[in-house]
Amino acid sequence: MATEIGGIGQSVKRKEDARFIRGKGKYVDDVKLPGMLYLDIARSPFAHARIKSIDTSKALKIPGVAAVITGKDLVPLNLHWMPTLMSDKQMVLPTDTVLYQAQEVAAVVATERYIAADGVAAIEVDYEPLPVVIDPIEALKPGAPVLREDREQKNNHIWHWEVGDKAGTDKAFRDAEVVVKQDLYIPRIHVSSIETCGIVASFDKVEGKLTVWMTTQAPHAIRTVVALVAGHLGLAEHKIRIISPDIGGGFGGKVPVYPGYVLAIGASVLTGAPVKWIEDRSENIQADSFARDYHISAELAAKKDGTMQALRVKTIADHGAFDAAANPSKYPAGLFHIITGSYPFQKSFVEVDGAYTNKPPGGIAYRCSFRVTEAAFTIERLVDVLALELKKDPAALRMQNFIKPEAFPYKSALGWEYDSGDYGRALKLAMDKIGYAELRKEQAEKRNNGELMGIGISSFTEIVGAGPSKQFDILGIKMFDSCEIRVHPTGKAMVRLGVKSQGQGHETTFAQIVAEELGLPVADIAVEEGDTDTAPYGLGTYASRSTPVAGGATAIAARKIREKARLIAAHLLEANPDDVEWKDYKFQVKGVPAKSKTMQEVAFAAYTNHPQGMEAGLEAVDYYDPPNLTFPFGSYICVVDIDRGTGEVKIRRFVAVDDCGTIINPMIVEGQIHGGLTMGLAPALYEQITYDEQGNIQGGTFMDYLLPTAMETPNWETAKTTTPSPHHPIGAKGVGESATVGAPAAIANAVVDALAHLGVRHIDIPITPWKVQQILKANGAAE
Amino acid sequence: MRFEGTLDIAAPRDRVWAFLTDPKQVTACAPDMQSLDVTDPTHFKVVVRAGVGPIKGTFAMNVEFTDLRAPEHAGVLARGQAPGSAVEMRSTMDLIPAGERTTMRWSSDVTVNGMIAQVGARLMQGAADKITQQVFSCIQMRLESPASAGASATPK
Repeated sequence: MATEIGGIGQSVKRKEDARFIRGKGKYVDDVKLPGMLYLDIARSPFAHARIKSIDTSKALKIPGVAAVITGKDLVPLNLHWMPTLMSDKQMVLPTDTVLYQAQEVAAVVATERYIAADGVAAIEVDYEPLPVVIDPIEALKPGAPVLREDREQKNNHIWHWEVGDKAGTDKAFRDAEVVVKQDLYIPRIHVSSIETCGIVASFDKVEGKLTVWMTTQAPHAIRTVVALVAGHLGLAEHKIRIISPDIGGGFGGKVPVYPGYVLAIGASVLTGAPVKWIEDRSENIQADSFARDYHISAELAAKKDGTMQALRVKTIADHGAFDAAANPSKYPAGLFHIITGSYPFQKSFVEVDGAYTNKPPGGIAYRCSFRVTEAAFTIERLVDVLALELKKDPAALRMQNFIKPEAFPYKSALGWEYDSGDYGRALKLAMDKIGYAELRKEQAEKRNNGELMGIGISSFTEIVGAGPSKQFDILGIKMFDSCEIRVHPTGKAMVRLGVKSQGQGHETTFAQIVAEELGLPVADIAVEEGDTDTAPYGLGTYASRSTPVAGGATAIAARKIREKARLIAAHLLEANPDDVEWKDYKFQVKGVPAKSKTMQEVAFAAYTNHPQGMEAGLEAVDYYDPPNLTFPFGSYICVVDIDRGTGEVKIRRFVAVDDCGTIINPMIVEGQIHGGLTMGLAPALYEQITYDEQGNIQGGTFMDYLLPTAMETPNWETAKTTTPSPHHPIGAKGVGESATVGAPAAIANAVVDALAHLGVRHIDIPITPWKVQQILKANGAAE
Repeated sequence: MRFEGTLDIAAPRDRVWAFLTDPKQVTACAPDMQSLDVTDPTHFKVVVRAGVGPIKGTFAMNVEFTDLRAPEHAGVLARGQAPGSAVEMRSTMDLIPAGERTTMRWSSDVTVNGMIAQVGARLMQGAADKITQQVFSCIQMRLESPASAGASATPK
């Protein structure tokens, strides 16, 4: 029966793929409206410069150019600055100073995309270059040029954030038998989704209604932001409709509000014509929000026998010119304090300082629930450093220290309450699957022959599903999420949610939750998201929050319907409601299986024959405020071979054991893990965006910014354990980001393990062939 | 980026000095020159087309002779922009007489911003060497050809 309806646990084929694999998805750039104008943006070649003048006269003379917008034009509208989702603000267009290369300087609106681009090329800007600050450590030194002249505070320090017991941690370190310390840099990377960002804004001057098609992961939040930012222009929230159509990948990069969105909306309001802005690839990779860029200094205190005791971490976060991350308000460094990971540290202290630099705004959560990748990488790397120091096997050291299954719910030293876990079981499964003991033997033999082979482990703990309203909000809006279900008279259902799929398969998985709860076949359930005129309010999809939060709302909304349906069934069965139970996806009179009603029969009755005194219809809505976050986990083991001639790292095997609680659709979970592992491989070995000393981006095209392709991607071997979340309505935890979070440390640990006998303790990612070759040469191990 | 070198020219120092400090003559050797507008003897505007590999731009350059000490030393500051790119060059030259010949010792600090610096960074050295080679060949040719001695140069 479960197979027939396609309920929880079934590998139902993705409903949305019917259009995606045929090329019939409908994305923002597919929206074409009559009389539509096109917007293009002139950008700064300088990372820091004073704008002495902007001459738009040549651009305005080009036939087809309708308007040129500069910062000065936005001042009377009070739109030259906008708030970010953190407590900072960001220039829409500058009036006097640019703060990073590729920053927006002026916009051209024209009848054709090509004409708009010609207009951009004809804009003449006279810049006076100013001193550039690229390194956040330099930026925080006294005497560094102050980048944000708009702030009262005359330095580049954004905020200081700390958590934990400082005095207790310091004491634990003073008393410790063993202390290891490691500095790590988690490089700046870019989400590089297939679809760049874009918008079509269409303002109806007669109705006063603004309709916006936009690449956003959070359409409802955007509607509220537009109403708050542009309310003085007459845009009221009931006359703003944000439609987030099909999205070609978000990964956190489509959460922030970019100046291009504001410019297109402004241009449509002013001209009354629809205005389209679609970024090109270079604009996307050079100017959109970046991820990571954490300079971390981490210390671990332990006993000689390997018992981990305390963790102390100091971090400088490079946020670029504006703090435009999208963390929950109370957590400027995200959920970085999950850094105690899978281990029961008694004492911990973490501090993070945000810094401004002449780079595009950064700090978004790239397929990672708010700085969790940075945290997981640090702790899993540090555990290996400790293993080396104590000459212990890294698997044994982990097994010795893991939080024990009976300790859950577990309260961490930094304040989280882990819901459930069984870390030893996941690591044991990974070790069995890969043949860990045999691999260690092989490694020893190879080392005697001068061959370089390494084995790396990462036993990460994730933290997702933001979040409980007590702790979590964005711009004050609590991070609940919502689901509305309407069951039609013929037993078909429409499900609408406040989240928004960007490829995750929501149209299938949320239908499966409803199918499971209501006994309706998954094919009879339509899921719709992303239209603020029709969907219930929600905070959107990022940080693996859809299943933990909106999935909870879906199950509970369905249960509300089922409860009403039970009363209708009792009426139809002429039984006392207390005698009617939900069994085998049907309502049955207890002990009389022959007397039953299906949900379809009940649905028809809800509109045709409902009991006296009951409202007709069969629908429900739920706004779900989760009681806690969820804590997925996993153990990954990676085996690498290193070419002593080229320094190239080859991943021979990679086993990923994930535990995301109850699995809704195993096929989709496996797909999520495959994609996530590849996105974890990328920063481990390939991706990094760097700048020269003048602030010129050195990874501004796919010629220089290396994304792994099928050629670089190894064969991923996946397995699972299942430890349901005790507080989630269906026990699910979320899995969209586990692999991105867990994979980099496994790969880096494997490479360091291969070179450890040469005295190597750490290599900053990305571990490029050049870096490895330098190490081999320095140690006389190169071929 | 800093570039420097020496160039041996088979012409007397006074003639080399006169050529190199005359905006009209010296810009004839600029790469792909489009126009010249001399403001005064030490300031001029020149429009050139230059680039790295496929990334080309039309640069409107403001050039200023600084620190002129005839006939032995000159400084040149050139600043210019093309859509999406900007360049600044601070150059010096010293002329050392060697009989009827002259040795020019030169250096140039070049700062490039924008698209050319992003996309062409790894190709910049090669492109700079090529442009330098072309400019210097042109200077040598014009100064060493007896027919052109003293004549004002025009692009060929």
